[in-house]
Amino acid sequence: MSVTTASILRIESVHAEPERLGRTRLYVRRFMRNRAAFAGLLIFALFVLISLFGGFLSPYNYATPDFLALTQPPSAAHLFGTTSGGNDVLAQVIHGMQRSLTIAICVSLATVILSAVIGAGAAYLRGTVEKVSLGLIHFLLVVPSFLILALIANSVAGDWRVLIVVLSAFGWVGAARVIWSVSTTLREREYVVMAELMGVGRWRIIVRHLIPNLASLLIVNATLGVVGTVLTETSLSFLGFGIKVPDVSLGVLLQEGSSSLTTAPWIFFFPAAVLVLLTVSVTLIGDGLRDAFDPTSAARGRR
Amino acid sequence: MIKLLVRRSTSWLILIVVATNVTYLLANLFLDPRSNYRETRPIPSEKQIDDSLAAYGLDPRVPLIERWWSWLRDIVLHFDWGRSPNGGSVNAEMAYRTLVSAQLVLIATVLCVIVGVGLGVVSAIHQYGVIDRVLQAVSILLYNVPTVVMALLLVFGAIRINESVGHTLFLVAGSQSPQVSGLLPTIVDRLAHLLLPTVSLTLLGYVGYHLTQRSLLLDTINADFVRTARATGLPYGKAIRRHALRAALIPTATSVAFSIPGVFTGAIITESIFGWHGMGEYFSLTLAKNDVNGVVAVAAFGALMTAIGAILADIATAFLDPRVRLA
Repeated sequence: MSVTTASILRIESVHAEPERLGRTRLYVRRFMRNRAAFAGLLIFALFVLISLFGGFLSPYNYATPDFLALTQPPSAAHLFGTTSGGNDVLAQVIHGMQRSLTIAICVSLATVILSAVIGAGAAYLRGTVEKVSLGLIHFLLVVPSFLILALIANSVAGDWRVLIVVLSAFGWVGAARVIWSVSTTLREREYVVMAELMGVGRWRIIVRHLIPNLASLLIVNATLGVVGTVLTETSLSFLGFGIKVPDVSLGVLLQEGSSSLTTAPWIFFFPAAVLVLLTVSVTLIGDGLRDAFDPTSAARGRR
Repeated sequence: MIKLLVRRSTSWLILIVVATNVTYLLANLFLDPRSNYRETRPIPSEKQIDDSLAAYGLDPRVPLIERWWSWLRDIVLHFDWGRSPNGGSVNAEMAYRTLVSAQLVLIATVLCVIVGVGLGVVSAIHQYGVIDRVLQAVSILLYNVPTVVMALLLVFGAIRINESVGHTLFLVAGSQSPQVSGLLPTIVDRLAHLLLPTVSLTLLGYVGYHLTQRSLLLDTINADFVRTARATGLPYGKAIRRHALRAALIPTATSVAFSIPGVFTGAIITESIFGWHGMGEYFSLTLAKNDVNGVVAVAAFGALMTAIGAILADIATAFLDPRVRLA
């Protein structure tokens, strides 16, 4: 309901160029006024900066063990302590976060594009294309996709680039279904019929008229996708089917921490805390964006 | 109604069959049972490996389509799901493990729905009140906690509590104790083992129902038909239960089916952390040991759970929605 109303507002903005900037600024202002969302954005930005330049924070390399400090609790030398193999947990957390973030952002972008094209395409092209796409979507929703993910990811021996491809191939399904159902109302809109009458090509209508009007939904989906991917990647790597040692992701670190939960809890708690903070911050950003795009929240947002 | 159920069950059966066969194909593409034998000492020759695999219908020299046909025939005619690369029967493993996992998945799903819908109603009635805000904050936090972290936190907390109390209050390993006899002690023992894994799955699973039920109920609570019901003198609670909630439950009922794969995935991790010998452990073992037939059996089990959930959801929808019942 809110999405369709939002799209009406967006249509106006597409046709009235000068007003468009104002609307973007309104979204930004509404987002910034949401304190939780702003905090989420700050935390997320901090994590991105740390994973980009975090190498300077720890003097150790994530893969080089310090044999003089095995299973050391947090200290001045090793801020987050060390693992049983003598690796610096801080360096590992930074590297693991970088891995997890890279995978999550790439997969999220890929799934947004896939789900938008397939969802909107299925709704607009109708007929056989719609039937086949929906059949595929329902099928993929039913098969134990986690099992198939693990099956494929396990056989590629922990290469994170392949993991991105595999996660993307299965990640678009749920979002595509939602986009399809929203698009079935969009395809009846006057401006779509108008474009058809003017002889605009089918794919051009999908790309220029349907997808831009789904923008708010897609942006929210992108944030949800980041959270979902981080969680899936963590589970896969924890079970030993995703990223594999010597490479390190947050899931691998949790696996390492779980074996010494009572004797060396810091190996578990630091990656766990980073992981939860990361996903919470992205969720807060997503919620803030949803509120900012929601036309019914104008009363609260505009002052 | 019966006709609807028969039709839906048939289409689910077809989906399960297709899903199982696709998994069989993928498992054969990505798993190599021969690598198990290469680890044994002395290293057998390739021919010896293939010969011993041939006894279990896994001979790579036989074309895939022939292996697939004999695998399918055994299932359809004898309900025999094949053998693992070292000869163990998949049926024997499944028989024991399905019960262990099914109780975990089904109890957790039911609890998730009850807790989630209940809190959703509370949240919606107290919209923007203190209770609503606290419940929502907790849910948003829990939504972001990975299953691994939640399960390990519970284990950590349970061990700490056990230490401080001095005796084992919470059980953190296994699905049952080895030497327990008698009906009542067995039930108590099973429940004690079920407690923490179920809590872990429920805490993570109820969130979705809470947040969607809240917004669904908010949509119907202000609807005309509820206002009319109130205007005829129906008490507030009754108007919500009989009219608003009933309408708002329909989308929730359909979403239960699609949440079961998630609960199943959660169960895989929860089982591996709590040391349950269920389908989750079997999932990890079969993948690690290139057990093609075992992997396929796990996939079939997962699909079957989803189908059961979906059919239950259909029944619930028909019960709630007169339009479906009469159709």
